[in-house]
Amino acid sequence: MKELFTMLTDPRFHLVSNVRERFGQGPEPTYVRLNREGFSIDAGIKKKTLVHPYMHLATHPFAGKGDLFAPMYGEITDITERSVFVRHMEPTEEMKAACEAEPMTDILACEERGEALVPVLKAMGLNTKSLGQECETLIVNCQNPDPGVTWAEPMLLTHTRTLAAGLTMLRRLSRAQRIILAVPEELKIKVHDFEVVPVPSRYPASVNALVVKAVTGRERPDGIGIVGLHNVWSLGHVAMTRKPLIETVITIGSLSFTGNYIVRDGSTVGELLKFARVTLSAGDTIVRGGPLRGESVDKQDRSITKGATGLFLVEKGSVAPMIGHSPCVSCGSCVAICPARLRPDMLSRYAEFGLHKRCLEQYISSCLECGLCGYVCIARRPVLQYIRLAKAKLGISVLKTEGLYAQEEATTTGEARS
Amino acid sequence: MSAHTNSLLFAMSAPPYWHCGRTVCKRSMDQLLALAPAMVMALINWGLPALRVVALSVVVCVLVEVVCCAIMHRRQTVHDFSAVVTGVLFAFLLPAAAPWWLVVIGAACAMLFGKMLFGGLGDNPVSTPLIGWAILFVSFPLFMDPNVMQLASDYEDPLAVLKYLGVARAQEISLVDLLLGRQIAALGAGQIGGLLVGGVYLLFRGVIRWQIVLGMLAGVLIPFAFVHSLAETATITPTFHLFTGSVVLCAFFIATESNIAPTHSLAMILYGLTCGILVFLIRSYGSYTDGAPFAILVASLLTPYFDLVRPKPFGVR
Repeated sequence: MKELFTMLTDPRFHLVSNVRERFGQGPEPTYVRLNREGFSIDAGIKKKTLVHPYMHLATHPFAGKGDLFAPMYGEITDITERSVFVRHMEPTEEMKAACEAEPMTDILACEERGEALVPVLKAMGLNTKSLGQECETLIVNCQNPDPGVTWAEPMLLTHTRTLAAGLTMLRRLSRAQRIILAVPEELKIKVHDFEVVPVPSRYPASVNALVVKAVTGRERPDGIGIVGLHNVWSLGHVAMTRKPLIETVITIGSLSFTGNYIVRDGSTVGELLKFARVTLSAGDTIVRGGPLRGESVDKQDRSITKGATGLFLVEKGSVAPMIGHSPCVSCGSCVAICPARLRPDMLSRYAEFGLHKRCLEQYISSCLECGLCGYVCIARRPVLQYIRLAKAKLGISVLKTEGLYAQEEATTTGEARS
Repeated sequence: MSAHTNSLLFAMSAPPYWHCGRTVCKRSMDQLLALAPAMVMALINWGLPALRVVALSVVVCVLVEVVCCAIMHRRQTVHDFSAVVTGVLFAFLLPAAAPWWLVVIGAACAMLFGKMLFGGLGDNPVSTPLIGWAILFVSFPLFMDPNVMQLASDYEDPLAVLKYLGVARAQEISLVDLLLGRQIAALGAGQIGGLLVGGVYLLFRGVIRWQIVLGMLAGVLIPFAFVHSLAETATITPTFHLFTGSVVLCAFFIATESNIAPTHSLAMILYGLTCGILVFLIRSYGSYTDGAPFAILVASLLTPYFDLVRPKPFGVR
């Protein structure tokens, strides 16, 4: 009925994109900005230090958070509270030799299992918090997370060896008795030795909580963990390259273009968009993460971090602009579309006027943060942002999967994802 | 900070960055488009006087909104065209021969007491055009009675015929005539065919909710059908009640005004049913022949209670 009478007519919400091409290799960055929030920098790493790929730069005190590595040859130009900046330079023979000398670790050959594997993976730059959850059943969410993102199908169908390696490692790491792949129902695939469950494939079906519901038939059941395909791919990529993780897969997209690339950690959005031949003009919005749940960035030298799913350009004029203080007109679209059966109209109004306590009476903690309320809002209110504001004020963990809060989530809200 | 920073300025906003493309203004346009067939039929059936009433009503509504926004020092909202929709809907509830002062008073009251005093679009608890209609209906009942105002017409008022001349006489009125608007009713409310076309358009555009429309139509049809099949004396068919008065206009265009209606599916169905059943009660036992506008006024006041009927949120046990 929603498709027939309401508002999800956009074909882009179908999460099966039929993209099968191998991932392209992203650009060699000339400048990177690495996120170091919470990391302690290694001794001897300071301004003007020369770095080479896979060089260890920093460690995070949290066991589930992977170490930081330099993604390219270059010189550290600055180290701030939040970032490490590296400028590319032509490698000298010494630097090349140092890069060659970086050890290779075949994590597939490791003897360790479960908890013991965590430090090994941490030393390879992998985040393990969401991978090794305490659960009986672990679901791998094999959907493209947001509309517009297209890397899931190539990961499943084209890069099969990386996927198999990732799944093998996941099985070794996880305490789960069952590992289930939740795959879009249109894709009839078989994965050796793994249970595959078809799930609906129209957004918001890729939201973790809804995938869990599609697989188990229950809402927020106990003992179920969920992990994104992206994380499994990273695991597999490290297993295949035997080197620390300095790369991530993102979809770069604009109104007329879309492509999947393996890009270096810390690549700037300006360079990536230029590489993908996406022309920027004043007034456009650069989105880091998915178009529904990501965040806009202000400058071209903002960077892509390891967990990012995509980079999108939303051309000026392609959507109606958000104008501040737009009051709710009670059109009811958000209530009709909300997959959590909430009242985003009331939630956003309470948040707007600072009545955060009342949001609790409206079940704000059930919100899945899919962003559809804002997508259908005819008054162009930042509904999702209001809900996140109220959640933050109430001390309820925000489920943001991308950008600013990604780190926070990796460290503190692993259980909130399930 | 870096060589890559250049002078391009980008727009920052909150997610989501894609949007369905609907805006308040486009919704108003959709509503006006949906009202157009009925407007054309009103012109055919009533001629230029109908256009006169609609135009005057729209102008007054727009002016009142502009002036109110200015007085209240609020951002001007007139460009969202919702005042135009209100103007047309209000005019549709008036007789085509309504005197100019009646239109002016009604439209001004509707906008003032039915919308602007509550804070603008979407904040009024009862329907904007119905407020104006109710004030006029209570203050000037004779001028608001199409049957009295349209003495020069060859058409007849089906509901008056049913009430005063009996079922047998009412049964002679053909449904086709009713559909084509050949009946005395308010100038737009009588254009059943046009309203149905426009209403279905709005349904499929997702502007109005099918639950409310279905609920209200069922609420009218089911009790009348029940009476029709059980009564020992002759009664009129339920479709007669559907196609007379302002039931269709109210079901598709007024009861569905989203801010006066509840928002969850079941609540919307219950609200629609309540509207319909109230129409049945007023028509069967009341002195007022139509009943639909009053039914919606009453039902919309119950909306806070309907809103208590809601599904369990995700994962709440």
